[in-house]
Amino acid sequence: MLFSDISFLYYFLPVVLLLYFMVPGKYKNSLLLLASLFFYAWGEPRYVVLIVLAIVCGYSFARLIDCYRGSWKSRLYLFFSCLISLGLLGYFKYATFFISNLNALTGWQLLVPKIVLPIGISFYTFQIISYTVDVYRGQVEAQRNLLDFATYVALFPQLIAGPIVRYADVDEQLKSRRITWEQAYSGVTRFIIGLAKKVLLSNVLAELCTAFRSTQDNSVLFCWLYALAFCLHIYFDFSGYSDMAIGLGKILGFSFPENFSYPYMSRSISEFWRRWHMTLGSWFRDYVYIPLGGNRVAPARWVAHILLVWLLTGLWHGAAWNFVLWGLFFALLLIVERIGQPLLVKLPAFLRHAVVLFCLLISFVLFNADSLSTAWSDIGGLFGAGGLPRATAEAWYYLRSYLIPLLLAILGCSPLPVRLYQRLHKRFATGSGFYLLQSILLLALLLLCTAYLVDGSFNPFLYFRF
Amino acid sequence: MREQAKYLPGLLLICLLWLGLSLLCWFKTPQASSISERRQLAQLPQLSASTLLSGSYMRDFGEYALDQFPLRDSFRRLKAASVFYLFQQKDNNGIYLVDGYAAQLEYPLNESSVLSAAQHFTDLYNNYMKDANVRVYLSIIPDKSYFLAAQHAYPTLDYARLFTLMQENMPFATFIDIRQQLDVADYYRTDTHWRQECLLDVAQALAEGMDCGPIATQYEEEVADIPFYGVYYGQSALPLDSEEIHYLRSPVLDACTVYNVETGSSGGIYALDKLESRDPYEVFLQGAAPLLYIENPLADTSRELVVFRDSFASSLVPLLVENYAKITLVDTRYIASTYVGEYVDFTDCDVLFLYSTLLLNNSAVLK
Repeated sequence: MLFSDISFLYYFLPVVLLLYFMVPGKYKNSLLLLASLFFYAWGEPRYVVLIVLAIVCGYSFARLIDCYRGSWKSRLYLFFSCLISLGLLGYFKYATFFISNLNALTGWQLLVPKIVLPIGISFYTFQIISYTVDVYRGQVEAQRNLLDFATYVALFPQLIAGPIVRYADVDEQLKSRRITWEQAYSGVTRFIIGLAKKVLLSNVLAELCTAFRSTQDNSVLFCWLYALAFCLHIYFDFSGYSDMAIGLGKILGFSFPENFSYPYMSRSISEFWRRWHMTLGSWFRDYVYIPLGGNRVAPARWVAHILLVWLLTGLWHGAAWNFVLWGLFFALLLIVERIGQPLLVKLPAFLRHAVVLFCLLISFVLFNADSLSTAWSDIGGLFGAGGLPRATAEAWYYLRSYLIPLLLAILGCSPLPVRLYQRLHKRFATGSGFYLLQSILLLALLLLCTAYLVDGSFNPFLYFRF
Repeated sequence: MREQAKYLPGLLLICLLWLGLSLLCWFKTPQASSISERRQLAQLPQLSASTLLSGSYMRDFGEYALDQFPLRDSFRRLKAASVFYLFQQKDNNGIYLVDGYAAQLEYPLNESSVLSAAQHFTDLYNNYMKDANVRVYLSIIPDKSYFLAAQHAYPTLDYARLFTLMQENMPFATFIDIRQQLDVADYYRTDTHWRQECLLDVAQALAEGMDCGPIATQYEEEVADIPFYGVYYGQSALPLDSEEIHYLRSPVLDACTVYNVETGSSGGIYALDKLESRDPYEVFLQGAAPLLYIENPLADTSRELVVFRDSFASSLVPLLVENYAKITLVDTRYIASTYVGEYVDFTDCDVLFLYSTLLLNNSAVLK
């Protein structure tokens, strides 16, 4: 079930929210857990066992780590906890990729397993690892209540596509939560805006990407149009989902971390990664990069660490070579950026911004290619490789047809709409009238999204495959 | 508390409407079919352990929730209106509107599909006609985009290439070009098909092409007493105006009988009861049928014609009937070509392959 499914919006969510606000506080976590497992089972009935197993392992090992704190056994249990979590992730996500590449490399004929990737496994595995490591480090206390821990891992708003919520972020809220009207209103607002980002912008731009993929009349213009559309599509897809997750969290009384902060406004690649999928970036920083030594190592070792972290980041996004190259491409950019820092800071801001956007366009073209040959062909197409014509009637048609959605999406990537809202809010939000009017606009947005969903067929979330 | 209260009216408004729509979803009586979309709607799936474990229940429920959404047509219209007027997009679900005509974006040219269609027709020729002293003709019906797309900067098929491919790969057939006899006004505004009352020139060109001489019949034009909403009306989901279905009558047409081999039933050229059906265009020769025999008792000739055709032929073929004692219509979308010989005698007859560009570009449906 996706947040932008009719079955979620008009069947699952209203029932869960009604029950949630009706049951006494001590039963809320139980209800949330049941609802979350139902939500998960709706998409992956067979893999509910897997997530339950992961939860039980995470819970048990954290208790053992806590119990044997200070002794070597604590470290041993942490090791086993990580081994099991990463083992499950490795098997379900990477076994096919690894074995098929091994076969290709050695000429062996090992049986390549056909494994369906469990939804959200990358997200909940990372949450469990961060929890056990934090318990080991003494940064959080081990949760004694299995139900509360299971609620943390399986909580449906963030279960299948993040943000990657650390246990410390919600530890207190798992015990008790107070929901104010303001919080609920803000949650509903955030959810509907996320839905609109997903349905009205991301899905629409995805149609343009699909048109590019099916064209027999490619051109340089179409390649650039595609690159731009995909960059915007993936941003609105993922940030829309994060907005919905954060909004739902607020409605339920949780405060989830932000995941995006205008990443396309960045003037450096390192800034981009502080603004894009922030919870993943901070996870790799805190649990891989810094334990390896962070910045405080010799340059050669630092380069090796950067390469490793970004190789893992690429692999986290998918078991395919284009993701590996995508990660390494960012590693390369970050290394170059650090070496060239003295020169880069002297460049005008708009030029640095343009360079970053150019690199991101290339990176996302690589990201979305289903094979390396497609990636080279798409990237080459941007520069007219293979004798592509500069533009065709078809490319012009799509440019005209998608001009308004593209412009709206570009505007939506900037902080301008929020600044405008803040200005209006400051001036007019004195009583309930402002919020009533805002609610009417939100309702209109919800109905428009519903109309798109009822009529449309394209609605997958990109980050479900991770 | 007073500070908090300012959020309450807006929050209540959203929640009440959301809940209201949800209740409608839960308790609305499911509809069997959609008139505007001309299709059966998904129904609540069967709940069982196997459907749950396989995930098919969830998938089917998703389709059910979409299909049975309350005010579905209104929501689809809202979406179409926002696509065209708010976001200024040029098409909705592949349907575009130009000069009041709704047409389908049909591109690019699928050469393998066109070649496959030509091969399909060649196989039919080799199997049934090669040694049967037949005169074979080919005519291709351009779809509406032939007249609209390029002129209004919409992506378009390479029609010239399509026509050339068909002619080159069917050297046994004499090509009859009807493009000069057509313009966009000869088509329904909201439907794929052409208007029978505008096809006299086309029928004349075909008759002359097949050495039948001029068509002499004077037709009377009748207007069906129903508003006609074509297939693009539902697909575009825009509030387009209804149209009229006109059909031509003459003593010859009134005397003809149409025998439907599949159902074993006989009737007239026009199945007027079909005007009340999901697709009123089926009034012409009963709509989709694998095999039809039209017999003309007033014919002063014994010539017979076999037409391999798609749905466009339903409204055109009646206009060819005065020159033939019998016309057999074969639609190999609904009958496998291996069975055709059991029902059609090709000896010494005319054979016309009459297909639209839409079908030739999507010929996988030919059996």
